[in-house]
Amino acid sequence: MKSYYDRPLLKGPHWGANVVTYLFLGGIMGGLGLISLLSDDRPEPAMKKLRKATRYTAFALAAINPPILISHLGRPERFLNMLRIVKFKSPMSLGVWGLVLYSGAAGANALRELADDGIVPSALRYVAPSATVPIQALLGAFMAGYTGVLISATAIPLWAAGKRHIPAFSVCSGAASASALATLLSTLQGNHEVIPRLERLEMAASALEIVTIADFRKRGGRATAPLFEGRVGKRLRDYTILGGIVVPFVLNAVGGAVRLPKSIDALRSIAASMLTLIGGYVLRESLIEAGKLSANDPQAAFRQPS
Amino acid sequence: MATGFFTDATLCIGCKACEVACKQWNELPSDGFEFTGNSYDNTSQLSGTTWRHVDFVERESFDESGLKTSWSMVSDVCKHCTNAGCLEACPTGAIVRNEFGSVFVQPDICNGCGYCVVSCPFGVIDLIEAVGRGDDAKKYGLATLHDDRLNDRKTAVQATGGVAGKCSLCFDRQRVGMVPACAKACPTESIQFGEIEELHERAKRRVETLQERGVEARLYGADDIGGGIGALNAFFLLTESPEAYNLPVEPVLPSTRQTMGYAAAAAAALTLATIGWAIFRGDA
Repeated sequence: MKSYYDRPLLKGPHWGANVVTYLFLGGIMGGLGLISLLSDDRPEPAMKKLRKATRYTAFALAAINPPILISHLGRPERFLNMLRIVKFKSPMSLGVWGLVLYSGAAGANALRELADDGIVPSALRYVAPSATVPIQALLGAFMAGYTGVLISATAIPLWAAGKRHIPAFSVCSGAASASALATLLSTLQGNHEVIPRLERLEMAASALEIVTIADFRKRGGRATAPLFEGRVGKRLRDYTILGGIVVPFVLNAVGGAVRLPKSIDALRSIAASMLTLIGGYVLRESLIEAGKLSANDPQAAFRQPS
Repeated sequence: MATGFFTDATLCIGCKACEVACKQWNELPSDGFEFTGNSYDNTSQLSGTTWRHVDFVERESFDESGLKTSWSMVSDVCKHCTNAGCLEACPTGAIVRNEFGSVFVQPDICNGCGYCVVSCPFGVIDLIEAVGRGDDAKKYGLATLHDDRLNDRKTAVQATGGVAGKCSLCFDRQRVGMVPACAKACPTESIQFGEIEELHERAKRRVETLQERGVEARLYGADDIGGGIGALNAFFLLTESPEAYNLPVEPVLPSTRQTMGYAAAAAAALTLATIGWAIFRGDA
């Protein structure tokens, strides 16, 4: 095969753990927007508790995620450079605006809960209209999905080959991780009533995720090899596919079918949630690491995926 | 009127004067010294601090007189695409198209996010890591610069925190009517600078001449290269297939994949929202 001394044709990403964390938390923020919408305006105290938990957590994540993004820019104030324009052709630009608007909506929803809990003056709830709930859910779907679009709208062969798959499984993984985090919080709060529903949502998201990943793998070829083979492939298989999807799915299915003693059941759902969260992080990490390997393969870059 | 480069592999003698002239004019630091063993190419690639790179394509063949080695050299450079992946990806608007039709990085606006790096279908643009005082400065060969000079520098290299760097098509020289440093330094006019249409004319005539002489010559990027990229303002005359010079045969503009991506994400989100609604509110 022809090449130029087998030298890489493309330049790989300069992204490390902080960008991986940003992508992972962005997915969770997206999923929490959905759960906040699903539990909105329900009379049951358990649902109310879940609603509050998701809104406070979403707001906390909206507060810590920008600093993580900023940390990879070297000079923090340069984050503001991205706020000088809106560019529809750049997922990075749209994503920053999505993050800013999501933070606003999440802040409004958290403020309303704070007013409801009497932590801030109750008059403040009128500052935040209830329309921010579906808005946060919509922006959340965008937050979970745009990171996948951002990655696949590049020249890196692996990412480019996944222009449909990567955005889709990013959304699914975000929803599964958010359900897992909400399950974890509800278990710690002793809010057991909502857990079966959260676990069913997690199972649905994980099932769709694994089907999409399997389909991406089936596409095969040189471009997708770095994600499914070698060191990265092994890590993805162990931590995301088996540990992060299959095992939690089985644990959740057992929890739904069998009535376990309370303490064992709590342990089961904590284990399932933790595994799902780890799997979600490793999925993002594997995508970035495999992207670096993919950039080094000139043969995959001579004819780029359409 | 758009200007650009026509770089002709059949005239290149591999002297690397373009590399040196570019480094000097643009005050780009050294990238270290390494013997690659790849013919006479120890530069290896274009990078944030190397804006011209001479490819050395070596071919060996046997005939009755023994082993014969032939070279095809060409000076690679940023293609200044009609639709540029880096320009579209840039979230700060630091990468712009200037009045000469060139793709230009404004280092004071670039925030070093690195998205342009993965969005270039030709692997041209790259980040220049933080360059400061002391060891960093030494590493990049800046330590000998006078302090004031170091402070005054408005080039990409000096901005701390890392910025994207690539060929500016000598924007500063063009503004005062000068020819870009590499083209000026090229002793064989392998690198020709001029107005695009004029260069196209010259290139087509050159290909005809070469073909008459039995040389397999082809243009790369003079016409629409496909994949949504359009024509290249810096185009090439090659004698080997593009892969031999580490050029993509079918490059694709990354932003063309976005619509499909957003649609797939929306479909997944809608599916999960519907399922979630049934799980959480199906009984209400």
